Amino acid sequence: MYGRKGYQLVKDFASGEKGQLKPFNSKLFDETIEECRQNQRLIQSLMRKMEQEGLDVQNNRNADYYGALVHHLSLIRNKRCLMAYVHNRADIVRDLGWRVGLELLELPPEIQEKLTTLEKEYFKNHSAAIKSYMGKAGIDLNVDMVPPKDPYIKVRVVGDIDEGIVMSDKTTNFARHSMHFLKRTDAEPYIARGQMEELTG
Amino acid sequence: MASKYYDIDDILTEEEFAPVLFHKPANRVTIDPSAETNYVEQGAKVELPFWLAHELHLRQAVSINLPACFDQKTRLEIQADAACVDLRSRCPYFYEFGCKLQPLVTDRTLGILLSTAFKIRYKERLTKVFTATHLTASKFLPFLTIEETSLYEAAHLSMTAFKKWRTGGPRFQRASILGRKRKES
Repeated sequence: MYGRKGYQLVKDFASGEKGQLKPFNSKLFDETIEECRQNQRLIQSLMRKMEQEGLDVQNNRNADYYGALVHHLSLIRNKRCLMAYVHNRADIVRDLGWRVGLELLELPPEIQEKLTTLEKEYFKNHSAAIKSYMGKAGIDLNVDMVPPKDPYIKVRVVGDIDEGIVMSDKTTNFARHSMHFLKRTDAEPYIARGQMEELTG
Repeated sequence: MASKYYDIDDILTEEEFAPVLFHKPANRVTIDPSAETNYVEQGAKVELPFWLAHELHLRQAVSINLPACFDQKTRLEIQADAACVDLRSRCPYFYEFGCKLQPLVTDRTLGILLSTAFKIRYKERLTKVFTATHLTASKFLPFLTIEETSLYEAAHLSMTAFKKWRTGGPRFQRASILGRKRKES
């Protein structure tokens, strides 16, 4: 059956949790492209056959024409699967920038591993575009994703945070399990990355 | 159509198989598993994925028949008690697939079948979301089609959000995009 590999590729994407990345499946991706090549070879050979028989390829509707049509449609289908795979991954890559952080190295290493070189490139370029826009507009667009009630919040450190991070005006020691009273906008990226959690009380 | 080009669910829906009847022969095509040659005869009956069947149908090369998931047995079961039928195992995209088939097949009752099945089942799910806990829900979740599952999850999420809003609690969360947190050793 045709268009098989493309289907498996899309299925692989869909089997992951919604909105989360799986490692780029380059094996299936290449196999899909190979299937497209096979389709293309068969189309060409059928076209040649019709030409050799002296038939008008444009208007003739014989068995060879319908054979070529099936291969053409399969190729188009595989193309759609490939495009959808890349497109939907790109959606998630952009989302990472908005929800987690605009620096590639700020992303958790297990996420970085799942991106291909091209996707990393895309992430960097997209971040650069957002940053330049935010610079011109003079506003941080990726903070305050939850409407603020109070400019300060209480947080507890749950992950490992490098020492010597300067927040607003002072240097703080963010040891694990220590509690802090921080500016919301400072704490937000750390919460998004799972390194701090908000305390209520 | 164009807006759904990249839609993963739409692509998967179109992978569902439908039985077709070839009106034209096709050469160098290995579709028919029972055929020994790579030639599809005129009048051959084979199962094709919808994306291929649909395009061939537009060019009058095949005619499409109703797939088994919309057969008489399923219809009778839906008439008996739509809410308890395991539609997922018959066709994970029961409704979307049905909607795509409806203009292409001769059967005119398909639309009514879909809408009655959906109405009854939707009502049932909605009450379950409000009353049953998430644990007992796992009993009927495997029966739902993909469309119904996403509706159910949406309803479930809004119920949790409502409860959270009432009781209060942390409003910041780890970005869901990173996946579930692994247990730290």
